[in-house]
Amino acid sequence: MAETPVRLLSVGTALPGPPIDTAALAGAFGMDQVWRQWVDTFIGTRTRHLAVDLSTGERRDSLADLGERAAVQALTRAGISAEEIDVVVLGTATPDTLMPATVNVVAERLRIDGVPAFQLQSGCSGAVQTFDVAASLLATGRYRTALVVGGDVIAKHYDVKADLTALPPDELVNYVLFGDGAGAAVLSTAGPPEAPVLRSVLTRLSGLDRAPGQILRWYGLADRDATEAPASEDYKAIEEFVPVLAEETADELLDDLGWDRAEVDYLLPPQLSVAMTGKITARLAFPAAEEVSCVAETGNNGNALVFFQLDRLLPRMTRPSRAIAVAIESSKWIKSGLALERA
Amino acid sequence: MAAISREEFVDLLQDEIGLAVGGDDLGRALDEVPGWDSLHLLTMLVLLEKRVRRPLSLPDFLEAASLESVYELVNR
Repeated sequence: MAETPVRLLSVGTALPGPPIDTAALAGAFGMDQVWRQWVDTFIGTRTRHLAVDLSTGERRDSLADLGERAAVQALTRAGISAEEIDVVVLGTATPDTLMPATVNVVAERLRIDGVPAFQLQSGCSGAVQTFDVAASLLATGRYRTALVVGGDVIAKHYDVKADLTALPPDELVNYVLFGDGAGAAVLSTAGPPEAPVLRSVLTRLSGLDRAPGQILRWYGLADRDATEAPASEDYKAIEEFVPVLAEETADELLDDLGWDRAEVDYLLPPQLSVAMTGKITARLAFPAAEEVSCVAETGNNGNALVFFQLDRLLPRMTRPSRAIAVAIESSKWIKSGLALERA
Repeated sequence: MAAISREEFVDLLQDEIGLAVGGDDLGRALDEVPGWDSLHLLTMLVLLEKRVRRPLSLPDFLEAASLESVYELVNR
């Protein structure tokens, strides 16, 4: 990492609407006991938040709304004003519009201007990718403080009138896995010594000759009647490959840092679902690490997940301590991870 | 009289779930059914509930060894 350490000063998060439990989700789609039991058994997510009103289909929150709320919270917690932000990076798979990029809408709402702002088209590795880009820019010495944001709003893909009994499994799975939300963090080379240091961050494209595990399509005037599903997921490939890639990521991070597995105090594992996260955490086998997860309450909200995990980590991170986060994007397969250390 | 006949059950598996199974396959273990996974279990149970017009309970079916076992449970 940079000679001048990059520190994580704060995290903020935002969720739309009230928590929706599985019974309410089932009821909204006319499903009953056996559907709830299946979600409880095979997914495990207890609640999720949606930017769409399930009873009316009305869209309540945009990604910019949630990103702004999360960013304001992060800035407030860091005691940093918008004028002190030197660069902004946002990661999402679901921008409000393709242009303008949502990062620039969020920046405007925060009254941030005259600085570089980048948007990454990203998935579950997006939060780590924003950290990687921001930390690299801070390491150049040209900038001091970065605001990073990540989030997703799947309202566009959430048809509240859908007949779930008529959907093929690769589309149905989207209704039971995902939720909406956004997170933000302030990174700085000028942070106080008690703030955790970003010791390592890695992102690795790992998709050579591997078909995408997840596809989100977008349509325009000419192809708006396309018959391909807007959102589909090869969940079998995801079940097979994500645990392998997660293990490779954790091992690479530990090797780079020279940390022993037993020296890690907190593990932030991939947050696909409660069931998958449990399997992956067992496989990663950090003997002394406390698991920091959010997916049971938030659902899988993609680019926001690592921010929600960091939001839970920071208040409980003792001094000294070490934490490792691993996130895997299954669209074209991206491994990512970061390491934090509090002196 | 069965809540759903064997033929109707096979039709449901083929036409509504898209599984490549025939009547002779009902005795196969679920994990030997081509393409079978937990989402098929969900779709199958939801469709069967609609068909037999009574609530089904997942735990009863988690121990089912084969499609034949599922068929018997639904008709119990």
